[in-house]
Amino acid sequence: MAFLALLVSTGLVTGATYGLIGMGFALIYKATGVVNFAQGELVMLTAYIAFSLAGALGLSFFPLMLVAVPISMAIGLVLERVFIRPMLGEPVFSIVMVTVGLAVILRGIVVLIWGSEPLNFAAGIATTVVAIGGVPFYLAQLYLIGALALLTLLTWLFLRFSRFGVAMRAVAANETAAMLTGVSVDRIHALAWMLSSAIAAIAGALFAVNYKLAPDLWFQGLKSFPAVILGGMDSVVGASVGGLIIGVIESLAQGYLGEGLRDIAGFVVIIVVLMIRPFGLFGSQDIERV
Amino acid sequence: MRTGDYKETIGQLVALSDSAVVWGWTIALIAALLLLPFFMGAYTQTLMVSALITIIGAVGLNILTGTTGLISLGQAGFMAVGAYTNAILMTDHGVPVWVSLPSAGVVAAFVSLVVGIPSLRLKGLYLAITTLAFAFIINHIILYADALTHGPNGIFVNGATLFGLDLQRGKPLYYLALGLTIAAVLLALNLSRTRVGRAWMAIRDHDIAARVMGVDLVRYKLFAFMTSSFIVGVSGALLSLQIRFVNIDVFAFILSIEALAAIILGGLGSVAGAVLGALFLSFLPEAIRLSIATFADPSSTIYTDYVYEIRGIAYGVVIVLFLRFKPDGLIGFWRDARRYWSDWPLAY
Repeated sequence: MAFLALLVSTGLVTGATYGLIGMGFALIYKATGVVNFAQGELVMLTAYIAFSLAGALGLSFFPLMLVAVPISMAIGLVLERVFIRPMLGEPVFSIVMVTVGLAVILRGIVVLIWGSEPLNFAAGIATTVVAIGGVPFYLAQLYLIGALALLTLLTWLFLRFSRFGVAMRAVAANETAAMLTGVSVDRIHALAWMLSSAIAAIAGALFAVNYKLAPDLWFQGLKSFPAVILGGMDSVVGASVGGLIIGVIESLAQGYLGEGLRDIAGFVVIIVVLMIRPFGLFGSQDIERV
Repeated sequence: MRTGDYKETIGQLVALSDSAVVWGWTIALIAALLLLPFFMGAYTQTLMVSALITIIGAVGLNILTGTTGLISLGQAGFMAVGAYTNAILMTDHGVPVWVSLPSAGVVAAFVSLVVGIPSLRLKGLYLAITTLAFAFIINHIILYADALTHGPNGIFVNGATLFGLDLQRGKPLYYLALGLTIAAVLLALNLSRTRVGRAWMAIRDHDIAARVMGVDLVRYKLFAFMTSSFIVGVSGALLSLQIRFVNIDVFAFILSIEALAAIILGGLGSVAGAVLGALFLSFLPEAIRLSIATFADPSSTIYTDYVYEIRGIAYGVVIVLFLRFKPDGLIGFWRDARRYWSDWPLAY
């Protein structure tokens, strides 16, 4: 029983990373209809920037995030303007391939700037152990789960009640109709990229604190796909729930089925979900009219 | 402008080319490629063989992604299956290379059914993600199926001989790669002009409309998967012959990106485009190396230290620039030039 509790708790922690990264995917997909293959790289880049900022300014976690998040949003805006905006009106395939290209570029740039050695990143979070119901957690792990809960709530409130959030849902439902009612689709797209980068910064920093900061962090982006697929590509809340579920599944597969299964359990889930319910748990079903 | 160019039989319509000039240049090109090994050094020859292998892979992927419109990010997985089949058959079972090479393609084709059948309901981005997942699962299976694949240790591939020639080095390897490239190109060109090729293009352009017109989606999609993976599997096997050692690090995700970049920058859906794109991408790292050696500080080790990163950035930049400024790829430049001269003086 203690073993199960331990597996579930580590699963929830990795799942929280998947959830956070997946929320970034889902925000961009919802607003722009593009799967951003560079999301993992965005997480990595912003994590490295937070690392450099922490080294230069010596801030503790919350002030650090106050600095890192706006910078990341600016990066998201720049990337959208330079890479994605000029592709407006092109087929979705082309735009997605641009994000794939962007991903490889960012991956190279990070290694060129920060080198390929793993770095230690504490981000001013103490390494205290807290026991919750008999299961030990590091403080940083609790931060990660807390960040997921908080950001899910904030995003939900934003999409549900704020003017921009409603506009974003309008763009997601029907871009042309939204444009006709006076929504600036351009701005909504830019906003989606900025918010997604903000979430990426928080996800990246917390992941780096919990595990390590290395140039293979981008891989977490690919590993978060199962979360988004399970939750439904266009559901932000779904992504965070999906992330937790995938995290627990991976951890249980590793613990009970065999070593190494952690790495592919999620991908197996993808294939199963896509065969049974391609629009995910919370996603909306596409109806194609000819 | 060409006038009086009437096609009177089906044979004339589907001919590979109706122009004697094109045939002449093609023969000249093949002759030049055949004579090339006598004029180039070992290093250039290695580069040429790598380029030919990349071309075979790109031609294979182009059938799936360019002609049928099924986006695949699983190229590395299919190449791994081909390479490992070849390596296991040759090294562990002593099968001669002329059996193991085609078997590599056949095994890859059947493995592609494993990903193809669950993907029948999917298209576009979902398919891209499934094929990506598939590539990782393949890598994982290879890593953990020790008994068959030697797991993380990899397999050495030696002793590929045919008629007493060593097929793993020098001119024989070059001619083997060249022959397979020509075969792959001919296969792709010929398929695209048959009923099958037209069905694939119909699926790419609109799958529901194709279905309504009587194209059997299941059969043709699976056939596209199998044909494509067969060719890709053979290119993987050829790669294993060239580098003489396979392990999963060879088949990293970047291989899938490289293949996609090749067909995008060549021009999606065109066999000639796939060839041009693959050729361009194979020599791009070399061009970067030479330009760094020429213009940067000669003692700088930036290229050798960061070879993968620099290649990655170059691929990324090429993908982004071509998609933005020349979506019909390198073959688009050729088409523009041809139209300009053939329509002159009425050119646009």
